[in-house]
Amino acid sequence: MTTVAPDSNRATQDGAQHGAERSSTSRLTGQSRALRSGPGRGKALRSATRGRPRLFTSYDQDSALLNTSAKRWWTLAAISIFLVLPFWLTRDLSHLLSVAMVMAIAGVGLNLLTGYAGQISLGHPFFMALGAYTGAVVAGVPGSIVIGWEFDLSIALVLAAVIPGLVGLVVAPLATRVRGLYLAVLTLGLLMLGEQLFKQWASVTGGSGVGRAGAVPVLFGNDLERTYAVGPLLIAPHVSLYLLCLTLLVVLAVAARNLARSRTGRAFAAVRDRDIAAEVMGVNLLRTKTLAFVLSSAYAGVAGCLFAILIGRVAPEQWNILMAINLLAIVVIGGVATISGTLIGAAFVVLLPRILEWLAPWLPFVSTGSGGLITVFQLESILFGALIVLFLILEPRGLFGLWHRVRTYFATWPFSY
Amino acid sequence: MATVASTLLAGLGDGAVYALIAVSFVIIFRATGVLNFAQPGLLILGTYVTSVLAVDRGVPFWVAAVIAVLVVAAISMGIERVAIRPMIGRPVFSTALVTVGIFIVLLILAFRLFAARARTIADPWQLEQWCLVQGETLCAVSLYQHHAGKIAVVAVVLGLLGVWLSRSRVGLAMRATSLDQEAALAQGINVGRMFSLSWALGGGLAALGGILLAANGSVVQANDALFALVALPALILGGIDSLRGAVVGGLVIGLVSALSSTYQPIHAPWLGPNFENVAPYLVMILVLLIRPYGLFGTKEVQRL
Amino acid sequence: MSQRTTPRRLLAAAAATGLILSACTAVDEDPDTDDEAIAAEEPDAPADDEPSDEDTTDSSDSTDDAEDTEDPAAGGDITTGDGVTEEACPEAVNPDNGCIYLGVLSDLTEGPFAALAVPITDAQRAYWAQVNEAGGIAGFDVDIDTYTRDTKYQPAEHAAAYQQIEPNILAIAQSLGTVNTESVLSDMDANDIVAVPASWWSGYAFSENDHGLIMETGYSYCVEAMVGLDWYGESHGEITSIAAVGYPGDYGGDSAAGAQLWAEQNGVDDVTVIPTGPNQVTGGQDAVVSAVMAAQPDVVLLAVGPAENAEIVGKLAGGGFTGRFLGSLPTWNPALLESAAAPALVGLYNHLAPTEQWDGTSAGTEAMKASLDGELPANGGYIIGWVMNYPMHALLEKAADSGDLTRAGVRAAMDGLEVDFDGMAEAITYGGEGAEVAVSGLIVGTPNAEAPLGIETTNEFFSGPSFEAIGYDQACSASS
Repeated sequence: MTTVAPDSNRATQDGAQHGAERSSTSRLTGQSRALRSGPGRGKALRSATRGRPRLFTSYDQDSALLNTSAKRWWTLAAISIFLVLPFWLTRDLSHLLSVAMVMAIAGVGLNLLTGYAGQISLGHPFFMALGAYTGAVVAGVPGSIVIGWEFDLSIALVLAAVIPGLVGLVVAPLATRVRGLYLAVLTLGLLMLGEQLFKQWASVTGGSGVGRAGAVPVLFGNDLERTYAVGPLLIAPHVSLYLLCLTLLVVLAVAARNLARSRTGRAFAAVRDRDIAAEVMGVNLLRTKTLAFVLSSAYAGVAGCLFAILIGRVAPEQWNILMAINLLAIVVIGGVATISGTLIGAAFVVLLPRILEWLAPWLPFVSTGSGGLITVFQLESILFGALIVLFLILEPRGLFGLWHRVRTYFATWPFSY
Repeated sequence: MATVASTLLAGLGDGAVYALIAVSFVIIFRATGVLNFAQPGLLILGTYVTSVLAVDRGVPFWVAAVIAVLVVAAISMGIERVAIRPMIGRPVFSTALVTVGIFIVLLILAFRLFAARARTIADPWQLEQWCLVQGETLCAVSLYQHHAGKIAVVAVVLGLLGVWLSRSRVGLAMRATSLDQEAALAQGINVGRMFSLSWALGGGLAALGGILLAANGSVVQANDALFALVALPALILGGIDSLRGAVVGGLVIGLVSALSSTYQPIHAPWLGPNFENVAPYLVMILVLLIRPYGLFGTKEVQRL
Repeated sequence: MSQRTTPRRLLAAAAATGLILSACTAVDEDPDTDDEAIAAEEPDAPADDEPSDEDTTDSSDSTDDAEDTEDPAAGGDITTGDGVTEEACPEAVNPDNGCIYLGVLSDLTEGPFAALAVPITDAQRAYWAQVNEAGGIAGFDVDIDTYTRDTKYQPAEHAAAYQQIEPNILAIAQSLGTVNTESVLSDMDANDIVAVPASWWSGYAFSENDHGLIMETGYSYCVEAMVGLDWYGESHGEITSIAAVGYPGDYGGDSAAGAQLWAEQNGVDDVTVIPTGPNQVTGGQDAVVSAVMAAQPDVVLLAVGPAENAEIVGKLAGGGFTGRFLGSLPTWNPALLESAAAPALVGLYNHLAPTEQWDGTSAGTEAMKASLDGELPANGGYIIGWVMNYPMHALLEKAADSGDLTRAGVRAAMDGLEVDFDGMAEAITYGGEGAEVAVSGLIVGTPNAEAPLGIETTNEFFSGPSFEAIGYDQACSASS
């Protein structure tokens, strides 16, 4: 982190009458106490800022979560739309959206680790499984061989974050020793060992090929599997699960975004970009990498717990490399080191097969049975793979990059450069 | 004693195939810095082409195998040209994910081609075996010809590959490219062609791996493609950019997996069934704890 | 500062949601009825589905006051609900008939069971096409294409696909995989959706595992092991030692559990359970070969895939092993007779199946052969797929006869339903528990290159004494 002598700041600030000039210096220094305690507390006149959304008059403003009013309005609009959506969509589409949101939670966690801190992990499904089984044991019903304590979902969700986090803490020192693809395959090893453990531990997981149900969604004493009425509004079970996922996603995504702009987030980025340089600047490598690991594991745990509830039943085999690759796809397609990108990426990966399903029957040479040239299902899968390839070749920075380009185009219109 | 010997021989036979597949990963990684997740697809296409030629068309096995390797090498080269070349200079994640996309496409293609059929490849070894130590009634230590054949084929192919890489002009150019692309370019090496060549080699070796996998006296189906991913611990154990490491890693993993499948159920049953599937990963993790770049991997030079 | 308030606003929104959730009141105690009520209150699906389900969603509006349909064939009134329309099926054979929509959730592309599931699904399409040609069921054609979905054998995909097709189907004609089926079971219970599984887990015979919704065809792998061993004892002499080789879980695990129960019953102590994995993971079956060689059992039960089967049998025979092999239903593939293991398989291996094989003579088998015009399918999956439709067909007819083709009516019709499979499999009476609903009729086959699909039937349906003696009061392998 850069520290600039405060007196030089003060001099600039005193001399500067112009908002733009002040903004540029505050952007440079960041830590200027003078700006914060000065007469205007870094605030420019409204008349000066109107119509100039990117005019920041303080570091706080520049690094705020939603630093332009356009972003604020868009976020508000998006959240409102997503709040209303389940009341309007069919049950299966809101289920699909819930799955997408859960995958987004896991993706945000993975992005903290892979995107921000630069540690590639293929072991994320292992932590999701930990969360799922923690949730199932704490808030699930006992069966003939599986245990379940039937506590409230709120306790289960907290523990589903804490226990994977703790395991992440144990594993992290191991993982911090290796880098790059070595780490990727090391975490894949973790996934394989975990699968073996889960298959063996039938009293928790139900055993291989059979599995067990997830947590029972009783939140704060309210059974979410019943329908509730709020005034004229009926909240069906799938809607309340959707709202639960949405709430957690929003809270966790905002928390991640907030973390990314903090000192810790900058430490993550420093470690990612050149870890030795980061160490020289005083970033504690072990601590930073461990923190990234623990946080992302906790995110994965929460996602796993919700995932098991949504899917209904989870078996040890399903936390496999394919799921790891799906998560990685969410992060990369959405855009590495962007939270909003991850949200779009999750929607892309989860919803694209459904969109292809609608499109495929319109394409030639397809049949439902296996007699024809290619079945509609094979075509869907091939298109899914091909679209990933095409997309990454054309837009390597992910969906966020695409959005960024569109935004820049309109922001600078009519001057395209 | 007899069991140990049989187990070690079987382990070496499987290990040879792991080594071959690990080498195919390494060659592609060294040239383009990509962990190629499409290898399983290339592997199973090699099996398929051999099967179609050798069984359905009656072409002699060796001819069929060579044709299959060439066909898959050409496909692999095509993939590099179309999908990987545009990704040069892009983040490693993105390129790896491109190969995942290709993997999905190739896998579905393989499923369509196999059309729910199991296939054989008419290999010359079948289920013949040599008896090395005669027991009282049965053979005490036997060696399946297909294990011996796998070891022999892999030894010859990798030996030739090693000589070619270290002696021939093109081989040296390939190594130079993998060391430093810009310097190689400055020396007049056509780096693009080297990329194509590496992918062709990697694809061809994967196809050969698929052919050897199928030479087990039994049948193969389309989802046997995923076998290629079993070589990942071998790859990391040896060091991701080392050919020697890949060979050693492959053999080690083959032995570890054979030994643990024979002895773990007897001596450590609490580890659960099928522990041999994860034993390679356990060994890999232990090795990485001591040597973070695998046994023979190049240490990344770290600069500020 | 104003931008500081936005995160707070987000949190406030989240908190408000939480408060609403905790403050609101339950509408009704019975989840069944209010599901329907919601379905009726909710607006239609946005116009993003195929046109056909516009109609079905419309009809769901009138779920509770179920409509009466004119029924030209039977003349009586049949109550219908979700999943049944008065409009004809897409590309209907009988344009004047209504349409019953059945769902199929199967592994149709890249999952581990695609090689078996694709012929199963083909057979189901052929079966219902034939039913429709013959006039359908009580004035309705049956459509299974519209709601066929590929689940890739993943519970997540299965659950999503179920949610997607559920509003528009009457029942599920194929639900592949134990975990997958169980994952949506509580939803199926709430929606009264009956399903035919394409998995043979012993747990389906017990309503604690299937809520009385699953119509299994043939025996479970557990029963298969018991009866198979009985058959072996009768035809090949006394058994003193057994090895059970298989994939752990609902397949090999169930089979091994059956072998152990049988051994307990018959006083055999020497049972070796050898777990293994598919070749794509283990690379080969040499460990199994040496373990069997060391144990030297009289008989080896195999619950693996075809490739693993051939390798194990071939290598053991080559090594001088003299015991015999009993292979479970999915261990066979006609291509095995092209492999190097063919002589060993012909000599030492028997295939166990709950249904007649392609060379069977029953009316059902003849109809199945006719559906392919003398061609052979890729493998025996086609037989399974064909047999699986008999319970669903009988169930729909019974429900239609009693005038109630709603989901609840179909579910109710399952109790006491007798299905004779046209002789292709042992008759089952559905609705009971354990041994009441489990059957044990076993067809043993011997590999023979001359026979269709490489398997020649060696006996009539066989049911040994052990199965009845053991009793069947809980699932053999883990259930949770």
